[in-house]
Amino acid sequence: MLVLRPVEPTDLPQLQRLARESLVGVTSLPDDNERLRDKILDSCKSFASDTCKPGAENYLFVLEDLTTGRLAGCSEILATAGAEGPFYSLRNRPFTSTSRELNIEHGVPALSLCQDLSSHTLLRGLHIDPALSRTPHGELLSRARLLFIAAHARRFADTVITEIVGYSDDLGQSPFWDAVGKHFFDLPYVEAERLCGLESRTFLAELMPHYPIYVPMLPRAAQDCIGKVHPEGQAAFDILAREGFETNSYVDLFDAGPTLFARTSAIRSIVRSLRAIVLPGAIIDACGRYLVSNESLAGYRAIVADLQPVAGQPVTLDAHMCAALQVSEGDAIRLVAL
Amino acid sequence: MIVRPVQITDLPALLALAQQARPELTGLQLNEERMTHRVRWACRTFAEQVDRADADYLFVLVDDEQQILGISALTGGIGLREPWYNYRVGLTHSASPRLGIQRQIPTLFLNNELSGQSEISSLYLRADQRGGSHGRLLALGRLLFVAEFAHLFGNKLIAGLRGRADEQGCSPFWDSLGRHFFKMDFSQAHHLSGLGHKAFIAELMPRQPLYTCLLSEQAQAAIGKAHPNSEAALKILSAEGFTHNGHIDLFDGGPVIEAPVAAIRSVRESQLLVLDTGTADDQAPLWLIHNRRLENCRITSARARLVGNTLVVDRLTAKRLQLQPGDSVRAVPLLNQRQQAVAA
Repeated sequence: MLVLRPVEPTDLPQLQRLARESLVGVTSLPDDNERLRDKILDSCKSFASDTCKPGAENYLFVLEDLTTGRLAGCSEILATAGAEGPFYSLRNRPFTSTSRELNIEHGVPALSLCQDLSSHTLLRGLHIDPALSRTPHGELLSRARLLFIAAHARRFADTVITEIVGYSDDLGQSPFWDAVGKHFFDLPYVEAERLCGLESRTFLAELMPHYPIYVPMLPRAAQDCIGKVHPEGQAAFDILAREGFETNSYVDLFDAGPTLFARTSAIRSIVRSLRAIVLPGAIIDACGRYLVSNESLAGYRAIVADLQPVAGQPVTLDAHMCAALQVSEGDAIRLVAL
Repeated sequence: MIVRPVQITDLPALLALAQQARPELTGLQLNEERMTHRVRWACRTFAEQVDRADADYLFVLVDDEQQILGISALTGGIGLREPWYNYRVGLTHSASPRLGIQRQIPTLFLNNELSGQSEISSLYLRADQRGGSHGRLLALGRLLFVAEFAHLFGNKLIAGLRGRADEQGCSPFWDSLGRHFFKMDFSQAHHLSGLGHKAFIAELMPRQPLYTCLLSEQAQAAIGKAHPNSEAALKILSAEGFTHNGHIDLFDGGPVIEAPVAAIRSVRESQLLVLDTGTADDQAPLWLIHNRRLENCRITSARARLVGNTLVVDRLTAKRLQLQPGDSVRAVPLLNQRQQAVAA
């Protein structure tokens, strides 16, 4: 059985393996021992804190195979996107050209650097064993974060965003980066993404373009990248799109990948999740597959389970489920249909 | 050969000239009605009936048979009625000491910095008259006029030179930039601008600076570069002290060159002299001579001898200038010293 739980210091070697395998654009997972160790400690501190409002907490989860102890994926929630420094994005809005004299009015789309999204809660750092992509456990890795937010709402903003990795080719070439970022950063795309994970992000503020970039002036291939998802990011995109996340006018500074946005109060897994009481027992005829979590903080656990819940009644969990979730009779759980 | 203010009777000849100039000189693409208006306005300008903000001095080059061979213009002050825009090519510096990265990115800044200055423009010489000193007379005559009546002009003279274009007249700079904001082709936009629809520029162009690295390579290469047809004018004006200080045209990226009036050679080295007539001297240098009149302005170039503060010219030259011996003139050698040395 695979269970999602908060990261622990002993996970470091496995986490580094995951970081090494992750997509170039997943900058919050640097392949760097020291930084990952800091990340783990930071996460442990966040789970242990008794804050009641969103701050700089970063909650890092891992997906563990209980039989082998192998980690198959990880994901994160940063309570406030701008907690580690300004959260930069490009806002795509039309610049309106109007001439009364010539009776002309049209909009020219322009990308402007902004920090508009800094106060939102940020989902990030999602990486899963490719074999588990587009399986119920892929859903678990992404959506268990939403159940966590539902259980601990005061720790998070009332809006949640995430950046989906943008398009780059097999050789790591990003047409958007080549047309825009390269001029300002004088670095290859892969290197820039790597630095984003490693270095202090002040280099972004130092080098990035502060004046608008007018979209029609960009080469066709770069224009086509705006809001385009990397093929390997599509599964992550689809899960959140089904949750009610929507693209908006913000894209990533480096690769122009889309930003997804949702109000916490409108996220499907949060709105439709049910709280119930645990009744240990045997499950005779399960009628549906669910994501199930306990309501703990540092002891947070979430699994995929086939259940037969009845509204208003305790939910029967078998012994394996109870053990994985670390719950016993009478404990509260939260569940949502897969 | 003289340069004089345009007259209303010049209209038919001017229209014919404008027809010839069509592909080269967009500023002269006027229909009969607009040309008539411009000529009338120029006449009022020379009669000192209009404000500096509206002044449009239109000169013609005519031969002794009163044939019109060329035209040139001079405005009192640009951008005083409605904003006058161009780009200044500046730099955006950025550096990340930690990463050891430094960038210098040429950046275009929309500005009105040249407002209030005077513009020389619309120079056109009939094709069969080129190659001699007529072009110089037509171009520099205006400068001598400014020297005489400096109070009617700004502190600087500027000249917008036509930018690069391909055989079809398409401007790479326009195609990469202006086209996106105007949604019209270059000739149409330039035509509207020439007709005096300046406000639309302000209304349609983005106010924020533009990084040139985001323009096409051809557009970047066209920044501040004059069209081959404008190179002769660029050469003449450069020798007079005009320099390119980074201002370029909003439409085609052509250079806007400028010079403080007091620093222009034809102004700085011009002298007030007494005219006398005498024998022509084939060895004497060519002078540019102005009769110091405004409405009856006559400017010509002729071989002349400088004796003390007297300028000795032949009788025909005095006649062309509508002057008698003993009258005062403003004059300057047509060529600067280096050019004279080359000519000798």
